[in-house]
Amino acid sequence: MCVTPSTFPGVNSTMDIVKAYEQEFDRLVKLYEEHTQDNSLRNNAVASIIVSGNRVVGLNTLNGIGVRSRTREDGVVIIDVNIDDNTVMPVPVHLCTGFLEKHGEQLLKFNYFIGNNVKIKFKSHCILRNIEKLHHKMISDVYVGRNSSLIYEDEHFHDENGGVFVEAITYAKLNQNAFFQNKFSATKTRIGKINLLVDLELMEYAKADLESKIYGKQTDEITIQEILRLNGEHAGGIAKSTIFATDWTRAHVVNEAYGNAAHTMGHIECNEIVKGENVSVSTVPVLKVVNEKAELTHEASVGRIKQDQLDILMSKGLSEEAATGIIINGLIG
Amino acid sequence: MLELKNIRYVKNTKEIIKNVSLQFQESQVTALIGNNGVGKSTIAYIIMGLSDYTPTSGSVFLNGEDISGFSITDRAKKGISLLWQEPVRFEGLTVENYLSLGGRINKKKLYEALELVRLNPNVYLPRFVDKKLSGGERKRVEIASCVLLNPKFLVMDEPDSGIDIMSLDMIHDIIVYLKLQRTGIIIITHREEIVTTSDYSYLICDGRIIRQGASREIIDYYKTTCDVCDTINVPRGE
Repeated sequence: MCVTPSTFPGVNSTMDIVKAYEQEFDRLVKLYEEHTQDNSLRNNAVASIIVSGNRVVGLNTLNGIGVRSRTREDGVVIIDVNIDDNTVMPVPVHLCTGFLEKHGEQLLKFNYFIGNNVKIKFKSHCILRNIEKLHHKMISDVYVGRNSSLIYEDEHFHDENGGVFVEAITYAKLNQNAFFQNKFSATKTRIGKINLLVDLELMEYAKADLESKIYGKQTDEITIQEILRLNGEHAGGIAKSTIFATDWTRAHVVNEAYGNAAHTMGHIECNEIVKGENVSVSTVPVLKVVNEKAELTHEASVGRIKQDQLDILMSKGLSEEAATGIIINGLIG
Repeated sequence: MLELKNIRYVKNTKEIIKNVSLQFQESQVTALIGNNGVGKSTIAYIIMGLSDYTPTSGSVFLNGEDISGFSITDRAKKGISLLWQEPVRFEGLTVENYLSLGGRINKKKLYEALELVRLNPNVYLPRFVDKKLSGGERKRVEIASCVLLNPKFLVMDEPDSGIDIMSLDMIHDIIVYLKLQRTGIIIITHREEIVTTSDYSYLICDGRIIRQGASREIIDYYKTTCDVCDTINVPRGE
């Protein structure tokens, strides 16, 4: 186990919640609890990493999880997360990222090293409230060892100002027979502007499941690029994006799959539901096969909510607005 | 009473419904019988008020009130509902969310409704109303949804379609249950076993009522005349 909370002088406990910046920690945790009704961040039995602005303000690790963090001179917070071989974590590791000022820049670089035969889940929450202008950039380099399973759920809670610019970039390599599920969602508030990139390299028998769900409002701008590089034989993956675009939202989605080895299977899917006359959305699927035994498929739809779905719910007494809410909640909720 | 008076419906210059008048009573089961393509489902959609099914002329009355201009939602609020022949699927929506209409109906009632359609609530409430539900399961969920609405009038558009023959007694039980709740039921069907549960029947051909009366008499006529008819929408004698 390796825990070096270098931003917390004098603190070296691995099981206590570290509160080097207690006020920030409390504000952030309260915001998180308001949004989720979940008090895991105060629970010693739950591993957690809590980042406010450009520093780690809380950390709780458990056996098998090692975390090192440092803030570079240019303000980039670098966090190395190391999961030992054979670690099976029964409860999710929480990663809470927040920004409590109105303006600024938050630059985070995560390096995840997941050992062999690991089973672990991360729940990431980005709480970016009351922001006038913020650039939040998070780059994750992920290595998933043989026979390991990594589930990463990333949920964003912003506000209705639309002043946040999110760059969420993930590069991942999945070793033999590894599994990686990456779920990104920003459906509760305006997203502002987002560039989401997930680029995966899958080795033999590795499997990936990518899903992104975003609710665009007002002048939100959404760009998604999801890439499956199926490099090992029998590798397989699904990349699915769902966007509900309203008002003046602009959205562009590119899903890519490359069948570079025999018996690889990939499926990419994009559904963009629009509401309003000023929305602009587009999707581009890219499939490329360089091995005759590879099989790739894609599915895409762009348009309004299906009328028969609205009719069936309205025939139960719901208004069109309420029916729309239920349908959208199912799709991206 | 639910009443259709002199309904005509023309689509793309083709007259689909030709001056039809129908009456439906609460606590009574009425069957609309006819071959495929004669206009039965169109009548169902006109009753429900679907936007593409506004009658070219004629009116729909509920207990004397002209509801012809009412939206689907408003008709549903008045107590009219529709069991769709092919219920659509909703990705990401659980059976619980669907039946409760997003939490508007309490869970105890959902259990009761699912048990009525012989689906185990513990198994089905967490499942999704998507492609993974079979046609028969989806139909049962839809029937449960209609039961939960406790409607004054329910149009059941081929309630037996997509459901195996062994489940016909479930449909029969649901009809009896709803009738006891004083719901007026309008059943669109070809199936004799279903028609015989009804009190009164209308036989439809070519967008017209060609015969009406006691269900036994109408189904016998249908079997001997329409069921063996090799023309579409040409009533006997024309």
